[in-house]
Amino acid sequence: MTINRRGFIKANAIAAAAAVAGVSVPAIASNLITSSDMTKLKWDKAPCRFCGTGCSVNVGVMDGKVVATHGDIKSPVNKGLNCVKGYFLSKIMYGKDRLTTPLLRMTNGKYDKEGEFAPISWDKAFDIMAEKAKDALKKDGPKAVGMFGSGQWTVQEGYAAVKLMKAGFRSNNIDPNARHCMASAVGGFMRTFGIDEPMGCYDDLEAADAFVLWGSNMAEMHPILWTRLTDRRLSSPHVKVAVLSTFEHRSFDLADNGMIFTPQTDLAILNYIANYIIKTDRVNKDFVSKHTNFRLGETDIGYGLRPEHPLEQAAKNNGKTAGSSTPIDFDEYAKFVSTYTVEYVSKLSGVPEHKLEALAELYADPKIKVTSFWTMGFNQHTRGVWANNLVYNIHLLTGKISTPGNSPFSLTGQPSACGTAREVGTFSHRLPADMVVTNPKHRATAEKTWDLPEGTIPPKPGYHAVLQTRMLKDGKLNFYWVQCNNNMQAGANINEEAYPGYRNPKNFIVVSDPYPTVTAQAADLILPTAMWVEKEGVYGNAERRTQSWYQMVEAPTGAKSDLWQLVEFSKRFAIEDVWPEELIAKKPEVRGKTLFDVLYKDSSVGKFSLDEVPEDRLNDDARDFGFYIQKGLFEEYATFGRGHAHDLAPYDTYHKERGLRWPVVNGKETKWRFKEGSDPYVKAGSGWDFYGHKDGRARIFALPYEPAAESPDEEYDLWLSTGRVLEHWHSGSMTQRVPELYKAMPDALVYMHPDDAKKRGMRRGDLVKLISRRGEVQTRVETRGRNKPPIGLVFMPWFDASRLVNKVTLDATDPLSKQTDFKKCAIKIVKV
Amino acid sequence: MTKNTEDTTCEYHVASFVAYPILAQLNEVKQAITDIEGSEIHATSAEGKIVFTIEGNSYRDIGTKMDIIRVHKGIINLSPVYHQILDESTGDDVAQL
Repeated sequence: MTINRRGFIKANAIAAAAAVAGVSVPAIASNLITSSDMTKLKWDKAPCRFCGTGCSVNVGVMDGKVVATHGDIKSPVNKGLNCVKGYFLSKIMYGKDRLTTPLLRMTNGKYDKEGEFAPISWDKAFDIMAEKAKDALKKDGPKAVGMFGSGQWTVQEGYAAVKLMKAGFRSNNIDPNARHCMASAVGGFMRTFGIDEPMGCYDDLEAADAFVLWGSNMAEMHPILWTRLTDRRLSSPHVKVAVLSTFEHRSFDLADNGMIFTPQTDLAILNYIANYIIKTDRVNKDFVSKHTNFRLGETDIGYGLRPEHPLEQAAKNNGKTAGSSTPIDFDEYAKFVSTYTVEYVSKLSGVPEHKLEALAELYADPKIKVTSFWTMGFNQHTRGVWANNLVYNIHLLTGKISTPGNSPFSLTGQPSACGTAREVGTFSHRLPADMVVTNPKHRATAEKTWDLPEGTIPPKPGYHAVLQTRMLKDGKLNFYWVQCNNNMQAGANINEEAYPGYRNPKNFIVVSDPYPTVTAQAADLILPTAMWVEKEGVYGNAERRTQSWYQMVEAPTGAKSDLWQLVEFSKRFAIEDVWPEELIAKKPEVRGKTLFDVLYKDSSVGKFSLDEVPEDRLNDDARDFGFYIQKGLFEEYATFGRGHAHDLAPYDTYHKERGLRWPVVNGKETKWRFKEGSDPYVKAGSGWDFYGHKDGRARIFALPYEPAAESPDEEYDLWLSTGRVLEHWHSGSMTQRVPELYKAMPDALVYMHPDDAKKRGMRRGDLVKLISRRGEVQTRVETRGRNKPPIGLVFMPWFDASRLVNKVTLDATDPLSKQTDFKKCAIKIVKV
Repeated sequence: MTKNTEDTTCEYHVASFVAYPILAQLNEVKQAITDIEGSEIHATSAEGKIVFTIEGNSYRDIGTKMDIIRVHKGIINLSPVYHQILDESTGDDVAQL
């Protein structure tokens, strides 16, 4: 019998590896303990610090250094597997160019914007930062200071930053790089459901009969989830996989129905599916009548470009009403989508009719449980919120939602895009637990929780990511602190907007990073930063799973966590430096105190003693500040969500669990939200309850196809799509320092159809220039390999700091979510 | 925490890998793999990628064998793909995947 079992699991092992080598499955990886001296290793758990999947890894420490990681067999997310990035986690902290001292641009020992970087002490670094921040505040008030953070911040770091900016400096100019990643998903959730984040969970992967990937290359970007999906597909022959993209990639290898569509026409395809469901009389009428209502959305809403851009001048509704809608009934909705016939949409999208019909049938057939996955293809889209709304329409029309296997599922790209950026609310318009600064009740709630006087938090949203960049260039945002991201590489149109903004003589730019990234090198002051298990923290993944870890190693001497930097900096400001007298008068006891006292030490953040940190456990930050700051920040933050459908368990619980999916009520996590029986917030007898809206109903939106901001023309005759690759995580600032990953994918190439190359007299390996209306970048042509674009489109990844593709991309954004569309602009390619 | 399984005797481990060899040294690399006890090559792709498994009785056993291949001069990269442990002490016939 044992032989059978052995044979069975061996067959699985072979299938997985063969699929990797044969490109039908990506390079999924399971780490092993490779040290020959493993008995000296001390193991503890931590969530992986790369993508939003939230794999748990076991971290092996020897002599104060992380020497091994492997997939956590107890983790419900990755079940012991690891992807190739996760396998090399232990190496990301030990790059040769790790920063260990603050560096300031100086000439003759003094700060000089045009000077060369030279080492300074932390004390001197905070001196110049405080001086520049105070100058900006004095000159132009809170709107002149800003911060750009990250979905890689721990929950505590994001929360501390929100407090410092929104309450301390009274500026809402704080935004995360998650704005580039899933702001459209947030907008979609809020608009359709009135509450953020997916209703389903990864358990859907083993329950669905069909998977549809919309603009998501899971095979490379979410390899562990792809492994689970592959397992489901290969072990259950009835399971179908449909993949839609603007170019062929690795996920197509598993597709039963692979579809290449013309950029932007996904909107039309989504409406076609709704039309198909209606025309074939497969609307779940009972569900729709009880749990939804219909809205007609505003159209012609512009492209989020600068106001003087001709496209914005031409748009009719790109102002504050862009997100508005009016009630309609089912018949009006049916009429609205009726123009999206298979003939029209096939012609528009380039997808053959039979493929569109097969796709629509997956959704329409009431017997098929469908999970839709999407990432940047939907979200980095000038109609990203619409795309999200439209996919929810399909799931709502059929009632395929909030039950196992029936799941519209937005995946995220960063380890705590959900936990830190969304749930903590590090966006320029948000507060914790889905609250917003524009709502007076929400501001009052935050001010009460923070024990601050009424009127502390400004009511107007601050500058979002793209606007921050523009305001830097325009000299209106003068003190700017970037933590935990590489926006000079990741942001769009860096040639015309970002770089001139950083180098504007009116501005002082601080960048905190473990490594000298492109962004750090464009700054005025660089702060060396501790990372991952060099600090204690919490992340929240894409399925609402909150996970924690302890500090396991010391950071290199001189490097400090983002949290330490934020909180230590707050000591440099007396409350009188930052608050007007009338605000102080409302709470006179804050007089003479620092922001550190008011926001952290003397607030509920400071109430947990160091006694709770055992002597043999590392926690440099807590010991420096004299209290258990990570627990204090987490517990204060958690009070926002408890009782409001965002309930988190007590902090200490997370250190014992492999994460829990919120809301956690009476110690029990929630797998499927909005469904009676699985979500404690659903009213008894309701079946489904979309309680994010007061009427308990989800919204089905009538929204049209509208063209992209820029399409190929005679001169710029190719679509450019950008994205990521398996080996490198985002901008490559960590993974490119791992020799094994660098070797596997050293340079960003432009992937091109062989006919397009031939037409231009180019061959594989030729040096070429990609030129847009905004800039140019040099690289080499790849006509083979893992990405296969159709004629008329090229793909180039953005991980490579030596080949900055974002010099050519357009900073068109979704006017609703303010997220940039990195997936489409027009370029030409010429031989060098 | 990971349980240290080195001292247990009731476990069966299987791990699968993809080796990326220098093409000119493909045969030497394949020979090095097959020389290792418990290893088996299952496929070699057109690009020369070698799919193989290692079977053993502990993490350390697998890890030691893996390291032998890992440091071979003909190897550009070695990707671990899959690792599963079968606890054979229970006699349970249901494979745990």
